[in-house]
Amino acid sequence: MTKLLEWLLGVSVVVTAWGLLTFDLLDLKVPQVYREVVWPMPVYLLVVFGCYSIATVGYRVATFNDCEEAAQELQAQIKEAKLDLKKKGLKF
Amino acid sequence: MIRYPLVSSNLLSSRAIRCLTLLACVENLFPTFQSLPATGADQVAGMSLVCFSLVLFTYYTVWVIVLPFVDSDHVIHTFFLPREYSVILPGMAALILILCVGLFIGVVTWKNRKPKKVD
Repeated sequence: MTKLLEWLLGVSVVVTAWGLLTFDLLDLKVPQVYREVVWPMPVYLLVVFGCYSIATVGYRVATFNDCEEAAQELQAQIKEAKLDLKKKGLKF
Repeated sequence: MIRYPLVSSNLLSSRAIRCLTLLACVENLFPTFQSLPATGADQVAGMSLVCFSLVLFTYYTVWVIVLPFVDSDHVIHTFFLPREYSVILPGMAALILILCVGLFIGVVTWKNRKPKKVD
């Protein structure tokens, strides 16, 4: 089974469970409090995923190390490459 | 208009090719070079993103999951909008985000359109 099929299967199981609970299709008589919690679940999971993404990006931006030597060496090599390419006629 | 030959090895010296591949590799960290902690502005931006996402997560979790279990006459309900907004507001935000992305793509495509060549 491919990854796509696995994901689709998982998503459809979750969506069916949510649909059954929210619209009470099986007449399970779930208490009102729990139904109140279940029905915004898809939006809630999306928001949580968005928060996790923002937090991960922010954390990695904050902990990304500077490489001073490498930066200067790179600048020098960029100048060299530009001169080289200008000689060959490439327009910048 | 100068026409360049299609074979790229005539156009770029091997040194230039190496320099340009180094440019492409700059996205990765260099473990062999000495590294310093990120500069101030980066840390501030990163930490503010983390804090913002934590605040948003806590508020939204309390709103969606905790509030239904709290008595309806508790004072905490005054800090939160009616429950319908917990679905409507993220939906609106997602629509606005998609609109902005589409607008950006449209503007960039419009700017880069070239008139057809007349031969």
